Amino acid sequence: MKNLRKIVEEFSCEYVENYKKIWIKAKLNSKNDLLTLANALKKEGLRSLSTVSPTDFLEDHIMEVNYFFEDLETKRNLWLKIDLPRKVEECKVESLTPLFPSAAWHEREAFSMFGVEFLHHPDLRDILKSEDFRGVYPFRKDFDWGAHEKNQMQNIQQIVDAFKKEQEENEIELDPDSSETMLNWGPTHPASGPIRLRVHCDGEEVISIDPDIGYVWRALEHLVTKKDFVGAIVAVERLCFMDNINSMVGYCMAVEEIADVKITPFASWMRVLLGEVARVSSHFMGLGGFFNNIGLHTLGMWNMDTREFFLDFLESYSGARIATASIEPGGVRYGLDMSMFDELQKALDKFDTTVGEVEAIFVKNPTMKLRSDNVGILSKEDVHEFGLSGIVARASGVKTDIRIDEPYAAYDELDLKYITQEGGSANDRFMMLFRDIKQSIEIIKQAKFHIEKAVAEGEMNPTKDHMVKVPKKLPKGEAISRVEWARGEVLMHLVTEEKAKSPYRLKMRAPSFNHTMMLNHLLKGRTLSDIPLIFGSLYICQGDLDR
Amino acid sequence: MILKILNRTLRVAKSLMTPSPANKDVRYEAMHNPLRYRGEHRVDYKTCIGCDSCNKICPTHAITMKHLPLKKQNIVPEVNLSVCIFCGLCEDVCPTKPEKSIILSGGRYDMLSGGWHDDQTDFWVHTDVPQSYIDSRLEEEEATRVKKELIAKKKAAEAEAKQKEALGETPKKATTTQPDFNKGVLE
Repeated sequence: MKNLRKIVEEFSCEYVENYKKIWIKAKLNSKNDLLTLANALKKEGLRSLSTVSPTDFLEDHIMEVNYFFEDLETKRNLWLKIDLPRKVEECKVESLTPLFPSAAWHEREAFSMFGVEFLHHPDLRDILKSEDFRGVYPFRKDFDWGAHEKNQMQNIQQIVDAFKKEQEENEIELDPDSSETMLNWGPTHPASGPIRLRVHCDGEEVISIDPDIGYVWRALEHLVTKKDFVGAIVAVERLCFMDNINSMVGYCMAVEEIADVKITPFASWMRVLLGEVARVSSHFMGLGGFFNNIGLHTLGMWNMDTREFFLDFLESYSGARIATASIEPGGVRYGLDMSMFDELQKALDKFDTTVGEVEAIFVKNPTMKLRSDNVGILSKEDVHEFGLSGIVARASGVKTDIRIDEPYAAYDELDLKYITQEGGSANDRFMMLFRDIKQSIEIIKQAKFHIEKAVAEGEMNPTKDHMVKVPKKLPKGEAISRVEWARGEVLMHLVTEEKAKSPYRLKMRAPSFNHTMMLNHLLKGRTLSDIPLIFGSLYICQGDLDR
Repeated sequence: MILKILNRTLRVAKSLMTPSPANKDVRYEAMHNPLRYRGEHRVDYKTCIGCDSCNKICPTHAITMKHLPLKKQNIVPEVNLSVCIFCGLCEDVCPTKPEKSIILSGGRYDMLSGGWHDDQTDFWVHTDVPQSYIDSRLEEEEATRVKKELIAKKKAAEAEAKQKEALGETPKKATTTQPDFNKGVLE
């Protein structure tokens, strides 16, 4: 940490300060220092750039760009800020993509949403937003959504025209005598979900893959700013419906930090419990999805059966199976009726009785092993360079898990260990998912035991302790929070104004964004038949990919 | 080996005997129906104080306030179910006690199962306020208005009396008849 601070202090900074336990927060005076500093950081070991998050301050005429550098090994992180002029013509900064490949898409996103131009970026094209937003920057505070929506038919025509033009260009550019073609994998492929991969292939062989994303872009980061701090949870949880609890936990932690509120032990334990239930139900889908993509649907169906028991618990607790909206700033939304634990126990029992069969039939499946053992290998170096996280990173043997690195809620009181898998192949990622479920079940058992014990001893009151009051108006401030989401690290960057009733800016860094970036890297030179397998093994969800 | 085979045959035989869990017609009966289940809204127009907070917090603008021809508490929520995401925040913010005026939990889950297209063109929770209720409320309002006028008259009279007192004149009417009458109305 001291070394890192020294390096940053060598440059002219407005301030350098320690933030939380493992962060250093600094603001550079001049954007010209950025590249040299980034070089020094990379040498020091901070090899991943988690995300790039611009904030548009309309009144100050400033576009503040936040960089979040991370070191997955020694757990030292840097939060770096730079001020840029707000005018579109002058809003330019040197790109960090040549140094940190993980920044590639994040810089593209900042470019398309805020119009920050990154000089010397190898591939600075629009991403996420559709063709009708070309040349305008929807997340800028002065963008008029109403006026844009008035020309709806024209906008749709623009999207259609652009698609037709792309197909025509493909035909012109490709050599008619060769066997090269451009294939569209998705968005209606059974295994794809709402994503389109432009697969440039020569016969069976994949030459390159360019994902076209944004089919479910709901501009959640913008929607949040239109709601109050409580109402925002329904936008945040729609990051991905499969693990909605943990994303809300991340957002609520950021709000609580700004409001300076401490939640009760009961609420923090409930956050652990609910979060792990959501993680398990998400992982069940992931496991099933992997086999679905190979072409065997049995595991998916079996998992759905077991998952339903866990969803029953969520439904009893919150009143909804999937969009639970059950974590609010200040704690958890509902009190707990202790009889609900009977339902959770039913789910745990169901898991215990079925896990053996799943393991024997699917996890140790020799055909699956043959098929996936040497496919889609990600090295440790890739994980660092491309800022991968969650099970994808752990499958390559990198010890990263926010629950242990930067414990939140009640994770510091739990008995937790890094579980990793060497190899980094598609099979390892599948194994990792399976082991992660088992770990989550252990955590659920621990949390359940702890809550039951504390309630029996009278330390916690399950019907009254669940909420601490958070003021409706928050002071000016900003905070970041990280949670270990089902798919990896989610980083929330929340900015509020003075006496704010709603967030001024919320950046949600979602893991699937980085993982989808890897498709080209993994599939180059492989055959078409590997696409579903590798895509399935990366455990991508389009919800958090597009946001 | 033989044991294993026996074991598996037994297992299959057992599973043949167990009734299938898929024996409920979920259109009419839910598989799992907890108390907190967030279903169709029920609005109680009698307790609703018309504070508009459910409308304000609704993240999808599913709630519109219906105007009643009254002076106070003259709005009640109506919910567009095709926009509603059933987050239940409107129930959370509703300030009436002990029963909330807008409730989702424990609501109907079979909102779609009963009807077909005709029902879906009108996919709303309507708050039908009967004319008799409005009339009674109007009467109440009229009564309070009369009360208020009387009170105002009394106050004016008192003020006048005080003024006169200050001027040195003796109060005549104000202290004798009117205050007693007004007092009774106030209580």
